Amino acid sequence: MATSIAATKRPFLTLPFLIPSLSDSLALGFRRNQSSYRRTKQRLRVKPDSSFDPSNLGHDHIIHNPPSSAPNAYHTPSKFLPADDIRKSSMVSSTTLNADDLPGVYKSMPERKYHLTPSDIEEIRNLRMNDPMTWSRNKLAKRFECSPVFIAMVCQASPEKREIQARILEAVQSRWGPKRRMAREDRQLRREAWGRDA
Amino acid sequence: MKRLQLQRWSSSVLSPRARTVNRLHQHIYGQRYQSTAPPVQTRDDQTTAIFEESSPLDEQLAQIVKESHTRHSQLQYPSPPVEAARQSAKLAALHARLYLPSRLPIETLARTLVDTSADPNPNFNNASLATLGHDLLSYYATEHLICTYPRLPLTVIFAAMYAYVGPKTLAAMAREWGVDLAALPGGEVDPGLLQFQRLDPGTELPSGPSHPTARPYEAQKNWRKTVTSKIFYDDEFGDPLKGAKHSAAGVTTEQASAEFVRAVMGAIYLHAGRAAAKRFFEQHFLSRHLNISELFNFQAPARDLTRLCARESFERPVAKVISETGRKSRHPVFVVGIFSGQDKLGEGAGASLMEARERAAVAALKGWYLYSPLSVRVPSSMEEPSALPWKPVHVDLGEVIV
Repeated sequence: MATSIAATKRPFLTLPFLIPSLSDSLALGFRRNQSSYRRTKQRLRVKPDSSFDPSNLGHDHIIHNPPSSAPNAYHTPSKFLPADDIRKSSMVSSTTLNADDLPGVYKSMPERKYHLTPSDIEEIRNLRMNDPMTWSRNKLAKRFECSPVFIAMVCQASPEKREIQARILEAVQSRWGPKRRMAREDRQLRREAWGRDA
Repeated sequence: MKRLQLQRWSSSVLSPRARTVNRLHQHIYGQRYQSTAPPVQTRDDQTTAIFEESSPLDEQLAQIVKESHTRHSQLQYPSPPVEAARQSAKLAALHARLYLPSRLPIETLARTLVDTSADPNPNFNNASLATLGHDLLSYYATEHLICTYPRLPLTVIFAAMYAYVGPKTLAAMAREWGVDLAALPGGEVDPGLLQFQRLDPGTELPSGPSHPTARPYEAQKNWRKTVTSKIFYDDEFGDPLKGAKHSAAGVTTEQASAEFVRAVMGAIYLHAGRAAAKRFFEQHFLSRHLNISELFNFQAPARDLTRLCARESFERPVAKVISETGRKSRHPVFVVGIFSGQDKLGEGAGASLMEARERAAVAALKGWYLYSPLSVRVPSSMEEPSALPWKPVHVDLGEVIV
């Protein structure tokens, strides 16, 4: 009796399903999730990870799932232990993952050739010093079949070229708006944080 | 169960403040000066005049005058007299709070609280105790760090030394010990307060060394100072050596508090011996948590790791993807390991392959630098009676230099 009175007292507009035309148009927007015990159980029924599956081995074993945290910095890898440390001999190399099977970070590792002679290096320096506009780092690297990093290791551009390059960079940066400038600065800060492990 | 009879022991439990004190009592024993303003000096002829006048008065008044007379006699000293230390509740409380050995007298503890800027007389200030304590602190902290982590780079050792026994840490410790500061030093001040001449507000602190050091080419300000030269020419934190400070200008609170803590260390060593000093160091300094792995800052970790592996004749380090998720999504996560041959040196996770690789290299380098031997013994442990024969500690080649 009391509930029926309460129901009649509610404003009519808050119960849209009572109006047939309105409830039809709003049906898509207001559909509730039809969760039931059976459906919930069904969704939770997932195939376990292969590391949990004990059937692929012929014997009993302990399932060891490594924690999802980063390794402790104070744990010295056994390769880094000095020869007189007893942990070196006692530590069993329980490497489950084979390094050869893992994919590398880069698509292809550059092959190290060590083919440049001192005369080549002298030539690189001459080219860079005499005609820095033509012989950039990338061009020299392509011609001598080495990396641009190696070119930077053996020689440096002339001060005039560096000045020109700095001015070009300044001109480019002057066209940046506040958003791009801040994004670049943030990127630099994040990069510095990698070295601090922060 | 019997009830506690509060009435019986309430008088001893209640603080003395809570008790009612009549005016006469207050007047006789007086209020302690904490010297917020320089006290008025009375001339001797005035006090003698008071004494002559007071002779016909009753005994109580004579006592009041005597009290004030002794206080006036205290005013002529720059720091509290030695016999005042026994009267100070603050000093006794500090002595008890720090569990200082009973062989360390209260008077010496009072002396550790008098800075050079308050009392320039070396027989009454804490300068000599602080010098001894400073040397002890540096020695104990250095040997602990170098023996526990024999591969630490020098910059990290400097930073860790600063964290363990640097002036900021010592000042924080003095604050944690509950040492209050006197507004102005003087003979009438409670000897339980830290007494020093404060620096005037707005005074500029000298940043560089105040006197010429032994370092060659000191005048060349923009020349690079190598880390190795800092061992030889600079102090234990890698900062330039400070000269003898002039007492007229005053000192900062941080300097005065640090000097006090050092002086306490020196006083314990002098009165209670080496073992007590070492125990005090372990309980108050080494017990402070310092995560050394957070002190590192690598500029080019991958390059450093390559150089390290070449130096130690390990295989060249190679970065491999251990696991990844969401490579094509907005927030991918890569877990990259750095392998030397089949051995994993380090592992790092990041939002890009470059970041994960750099972090893995950082982890590998930290794994190298944070090596700690199993049974660490420090050289000063040989000073104990019936110490085992000394076995040499691990000495490393040193940090990677690129």
